[in-house]
Amino acid sequence: MADLALPDLSTPRSQVLLAIADDALISGHRASHWTGVAPSLEEDLAFSTIAQAGINHADLWYQLVLDGTVDDVSAGVDALGLGREPEAYRHAIVCERPPRDFAYTLARHWVLDRFEAIRLASLAASTDPEVAALSVKLLHEHRYHLEHAQLWFDRLVRGGDEAADRLRDGFTQVLPEALGLFEPVEDEDQAVADGLLPVGHARLRERWLESAAPLLEQAGLADLVPAVDAAVPDEAAFGRRGCHTDDFVVDVWPEMTRLYREHPGARW
Amino acid sequence: MTTDAADRTTAAGRVEPANGTAAADDAAGTAPVDARRVRQVVEAVPDPELPPVTIGMLGMVHHLDVHADGRVQVELLPTYSGCPATEMIERDVRQAVAEVPGVREVAVRFRFDPAWTPDRIDEAGHDALRSYGIAPPGGPIPEAVQPSDPSRALPLAIEPTTATAVPCPYCGSGDTVQDSAFGPTPCRDLRYCASCQQPFEAFRST
Repeated sequence: MADLALPDLSTPRSQVLLAIADDALISGHRASHWTGVAPSLEEDLAFSTIAQAGINHADLWYQLVLDGTVDDVSAGVDALGLGREPEAYRHAIVCERPPRDFAYTLARHWVLDRFEAIRLASLAASTDPEVAALSVKLLHEHRYHLEHAQLWFDRLVRGGDEAADRLRDGFTQVLPEALGLFEPVEDEDQAVADGLLPVGHARLRERWLESAAPLLEQAGLADLVPAVDAAVPDEAAFGRRGCHTDDFVVDVWPEMTRLYREHPGARW
Repeated sequence: MTTDAADRTTAAGRVEPANGTAAADDAAGTAPVDARRVRQVVEAVPDPELPPVTIGMLGMVHHLDVHADGRVQVELLPTYSGCPATEMIERDVRQAVAEVPGVREVAVRFRFDPAWTPDRIDEAGHDALRSYGIAPPGGPIPEAVQPSDPSRALPLAIEPTTATAVPCPYCGSGDTVQDSAFGPTPCRDLRYCASCQQPFEAFRST
């Protein structure tokens, strides 16, 4: 536990990988909210699996951050996932928002999954072979998340007035805040120049918008499609630089890290 | 499985003399480890979540290095990246290899390149999955299928997906639907057979 010599977390490589890992960890943590209380047994399993996948994927990305610098890999992963102060996390603020109602959760799931698929596809061309290999692997598995999200999108769009209204409310909340996903990490240009991150977050935003906009338009949600140059709302900005809201600082983070903080060196 | 258990007992029973022999052979500069035996025991390790299926059947064994000095390196391809069974598999592989005469050190490594895909599961694996009530991935639909009547699907499947149908592991009918993309483990989803009206699980196709 003591004397874990973690690698330098301020490098562009660490910052990029932490952003990817923290998005997965925090959205996975929020997905776990539905375990035991989802509207159907299938969805209980689905969101429990989505939560498990997010947390496990974060684990794998943290291992790449460690890059062989610590002997005890699981202690190193815990130190990164649970041992940092809130301002050291690099996830976008939209990931830390509470699950609200099931329609909001589904809208967020749809937005995040399409974003993640596009980011993983671009990372498959990373000059870092381990990053590329992990991205290819995760992309295979990600298909199920996309299908699940799209199934519910179609269901609610065609499911009558209340379903469509609730989905609209969910997207009204999530879409502006989702723009925070596409903010760059510190010194991201360097990571792009190195080829670690073949496509920067700003260009990922264009790709995401190109793929998401037609589906939103077909679903009668054209008015909610963010403008190409829309700014990130202040309340959802700078997550990638470590600014987080009370939803993370006084809700997710204390709960998620409590065991780790109260029992240093605990193993599970 | 019985044969394998007997073999392992024998191997364990020979541990002391085998180690002694290994030390003597080492001094003489010979290689006592039977590489074929190492492959056999690695491939026979069961998947802890699907006991009739071995990691050999699943195509998880990527590469084995058996060195003359008794060191063995095993490279495995995890089926699903977040699968909690991988830790158990690593432990079981380590134990199984350590019992092979002459082995002194076992290193197990999981790698993502090449990515494991379900087409690595062999025919024996397909049979073992079916025997466990789980439809193997892919494979031909055995009969001409009439489109499913959605009203016959389980009540919770509001609208069955268009995911590729797989034959029912119980009755063989191709008149099945995917109820949910997510099942009890990361590698399985939930299906329903409209022919024998049996819910079942299928090994995911990606």
